[in-house]
Amino acid sequence: MNFLTALIRRLFDGIRALSPNCREAIRLQSDALDRELPMLKQVGLRIHLVLCRWCRRYGGQIRFLRRAARSHSDADAQAVPSLTQEARQRLVEAVRKNAT
Amino acid sequence: MPPAPGAASVPRLSDPERWVEEHGDYLFKFAFVRLRDPARAEDMVQETFLAALKGGQSFAGRSAEKSWLTGILKHKILDYYRKASRETSFTDLEFYQDEESDRFIPEGLFKGGWIHETGRDLGPMEWSTDPGASLDSAAFWKAFHDCSNKLPRNIATVFTMREVDGVESKEICQTLNISESNLWVMLHRARMALRRCLETNWFGNDA
Repeated sequence: MNFLTALIRRLFDGIRALSPNCREAIRLQSDALDRELPMLKQVGLRIHLVLCRWCRRYGGQIRFLRRAARSHSDADAQAVPSLTQEARQRLVEAVRKNAT
Repeated sequence: MPPAPGAASVPRLSDPERWVEEHGDYLFKFAFVRLRDPARAEDMVQETFLAALKGGQSFAGRSAEKSWLTGILKHKILDYYRKASRETSFTDLEFYQDEESDRFIPEGLFKGGWIHETGRDLGPMEWSTDPGASLDSAAFWKAFHDCSNKLPRNIATVFTMREVDGVESKEICQTLNISESNLWVMLHRARMALRRCLETNWFGNDA
């Protein structure tokens, strides 16, 4: 029995050495959006992602954040404040003053 | 060649005052998203118009007026970041320092894994099958901006540069005078916070 536990633990350590845990896997997925990961990290991350649907989801969701941030839609523009009437007036005056 | 005194006779594609009417709002929103400060955004837009007036000569015949003005504004904002980075550091390693520790198994064989026990599923939830459809929803964008506004200013700046404007890491680091490893930590935490906020305030609703 002891032997079996030890074996399982060894096996885990082996996988563990190559494959990151979830905390590390989400960091790696973020990093992968900004730089090329070293080969070994890439392999380890792949293994983890095959086994872990939470981290797969996480990766998809942060890639969606990028997609959202880079999309420019009218719905987006509406959610950002516009120039106030006063600010618009100030801009017109500044332009007028400098145009002459 | 310096502009001749009679440069006013150079044909202009549009009356500068009309710029404010036609592009003011667009430029203001552009600056506001990147600076998150209405007064500063207004200043930047004004500087943009004034610089455009001076450069009026090279403007005639250029491509669309709007993208020309946006280009000037972009440079003004980058200059502003550069100056600001000389006064105070852009590095922020305090924000979200715990990186959602409460969601991960603290120790043992599964240390660092998402906690998922019955009734306590702390891993990322399934978002709607087509989150892309959210991009057309005004309510989604309100949630998105509300969530972004919760990020500290410097974190929001790096996130915007990287994710909205698609600037490469190296360039961000040069402009803001921060190290790449710190930038990656900041981006990771920004994504983490934004993801969690959207999950709570938007995608959680239809789950």
